[in-house]
Amino acid sequence: MEDFILFIVRYLHVLCGVMWIGILWYFNFVQIPSMPKIPDEQKPAISKVIAPEALFWFRWGAAGTVLFGMILAYMNGYIHEALTLQKPDIGFGMWMGLIMAFNVWFIIWPAQKIALGIVEADADAKPAAGRRAMLFSRTNTLLSIPMLFSMISAQNATGF
Amino acid sequence: MSKILQSLPMTIVAGIVLTVIMVFATNKLENMNQSGAEKVISDMIN
Repeated sequence: MEDFILFIVRYLHVLCGVMWIGILWYFNFVQIPSMPKIPDEQKPAISKVIAPEALFWFRWGAAGTVLFGMILAYMNGYIHEALTLQKPDIGFGMWMGLIMAFNVWFIIWPAQKIALGIVEADADAKPAAGRRAMLFSRTNTLLSIPMLFSMISAQNATGF
Repeated sequence: MSKILQSLPMTIVAGIVLTVIMVFATNKLENMNQSGAEKVISDMIN
């Protein structure tokens, strides 16, 4: 029974991770590079409809990934060893995931709320918030490459 | 740093470089964390 619960937790961890990193890469590989090519009158379709919806699944995907990842590490008995880097193969990935989730909830989402006009802010604050969100979103894209390598190699590249 | 992050290709290259650094750091830390007996066995395997 414990093995089955472990499997379900791992499945939910990967499911949420695909949701999170998939939308992160959508923002960085598709939406941000496409915005300058979209006519001004059509931009609200992105900023008022698509981006807020994508940000909802993005931030809750991040939360779910961290939650199920922590439960998984605890159930497998290596949470302490990983976080103290006594088990660095998965530990580096966990720390990068935690930094990325922090960026999502405490930097990117608050900045996007200002940039997209979800909360009231000065007109000057919007471009600065948009730039901050973009830079931290790119930071997460950068970190996603070694983070995924760590997560997958820890389990599949034994003896690497 | 912000110049790298403004460019998507540069961000990807930086991510790959960080991955390589992480692999070396992982191997170094694993060697440091191994006990004497574990290290002998690990050296024999690798």
